Amino acid sequence: MKIRLFLLAGLLLAFTHVFAQQDVDDDDEDYDIYDSFESVDAKPVKRYANSKIVGLSPQRFVTLSWDAQLGYDMNFSPLGEFAPDSDPAPGETGRARFTGGMRLNSAIPIISKSSFIWQSGINFMDVRYNIQDINILSEDAAGLAGILNENGLRNLNWTNTFYLPFNEFNFMIIQSQFDMSGDYDFDLQPFNTIRSSFAVLYGKRPNERKQWAVGASRTYRVGNVNYLPIVMYNWTSVDRKWGTEILFPARAHGRYTFNPNSMLLFGYELEGQSYRIGALSENGNSFEIRRGELRPRVDFQRRLVGYFWLGAQAGFRYDWSFDADNMPNAKEFFRGLFGNQPFAMRNNLGSPVYFNVSISFVSP
Amino acid sequence: MFALMALFAFSAFILKPADAEGDKIVGVWEPGHGKAKVKIEKIADKYYGKIVWLLEPIDPDTNKPKVDKNNPDESMRNVPLKGYRILKDFVYKGNGEWAEGTIYDPENGNTYSCEIKMKDDNTLDIRGYIGVRTFGRTDTWKRLQMKS
Repeated sequence: MKIRLFLLAGLLLAFTHVFAQQDVDDDDEDYDIYDSFESVDAKPVKRYANSKIVGLSPQRFVTLSWDAQLGYDMNFSPLGEFAPDSDPAPGETGRARFTGGMRLNSAIPIISKSSFIWQSGINFMDVRYNIQDINILSEDAAGLAGILNENGLRNLNWTNTFYLPFNEFNFMIIQSQFDMSGDYDFDLQPFNTIRSSFAVLYGKRPNERKQWAVGASRTYRVGNVNYLPIVMYNWTSVDRKWGTEILFPARAHGRYTFNPNSMLLFGYELEGQSYRIGALSENGNSFEIRRGELRPRVDFQRRLVGYFWLGAQAGFRYDWSFDADNMPNAKEFFRGLFGNQPFAMRNNLGSPVYFNVSISFVSP
Repeated sequence: MFALMALFAFSAFILKPADAEGDKIVGVWEPGHGKAKVKIEKIADKYYGKIVWLLEPIDPDTNKPKVDKNNPDESMRNVPLKGYRILKDFVYKGNGEWAEGTIYDPENGNTYSCEIKMKDDNTLDIRGYIGVRTFGRTDTWKRLQMKS
């Protein structure tokens, strides 16, 4: 009897072990009975709109990228006061043979639940210049080409994004960003030159293939601080081949998915910030390059292995703004798209081809 | 008589108090999105969860019962989702926590490391993650019971 009992137990364990290895339960369970199962709690289950839709390009936790622009001409005005509609003669010219450098971006989930998501990230962008054929044409020239050639530009920012779903369909997104931008080195620069950006969006996710939202932002994406409306529209076709990923005016892309491991995005992104130039910032003033650029591009993304994706971008880098303001006590002011406050420099850059290659650790 | 005593001893051995606590997870649960019901059961000394109900059981593309079409293993793509084990290999760690398991998302074919915490008798916090817990997301599941 004892032997039979242990044999039985052994067989039972062996059977369950083998059974457990299978992905599929192959018993003859009557699944219809589960139609009549309901929540134990009296109150209804609260459901929340998912922060994503199907088919979106992978959300990046950490990205390391290298950005490079081909050659272009630089024309810098002398130092002075120039109306926004003025076109002063260059005080300094040069030829940028190379512009680019490494970028590190992160968006780490601090809290990630169905009912609330908070992502926080530190981002760093290094732009190095190789400028040759520098010509000084005016005794009032700022020597900006030499400064950029020597120091380059850097941006360090801290971004926080909060996703708050109210119910199964409606949600709000709040984003804050604090940027320190300039030609600083390891000693950074005064903290009163930190520039802040914000965005608030309210939207709806009517189904798993579409989400849209409208809102407002304070942004430096065109160089100067601006207050702009925002429209988000993410959509994926029924066959999941085509889609859009739009956060207008910051960026707008169409999407074609070859297969779950590769896709092509085509559209544009606005990129910009206000960069303090240390050598031209005197007596507590902050002399800042209002760098804004439009990047029409194609962006091929492909899974390398697991959750690591490769990105390869190519496009044009159109100069939106490279003008400069000299701000007493580093105090920001609002010019907007139609203000008439004078610039300290009016500058023009050529519009070269650019490339960007990245490796990202992505969210599923 | 000896056989009965052996059975009693065997039962006492396998039905430890920790097992009784761990077995609290056994039952039928509804994920936060409400599109499925998952039956968690104990097999040997581990816990597994299979899909037993789908809000939309028919694939609109094929007009047939949904299958695991996003599975990275091509040989699994015709397997029905109903009956599919999406929770696997969980071990009860005490304090209302089950760990060392995985969760499978049929919507994208990904499998994640997973930990389960019982908030109360009828609520589970299920966190799927990649590598470290930071890169993950927590979903709340509610216990279901048959209509009385």
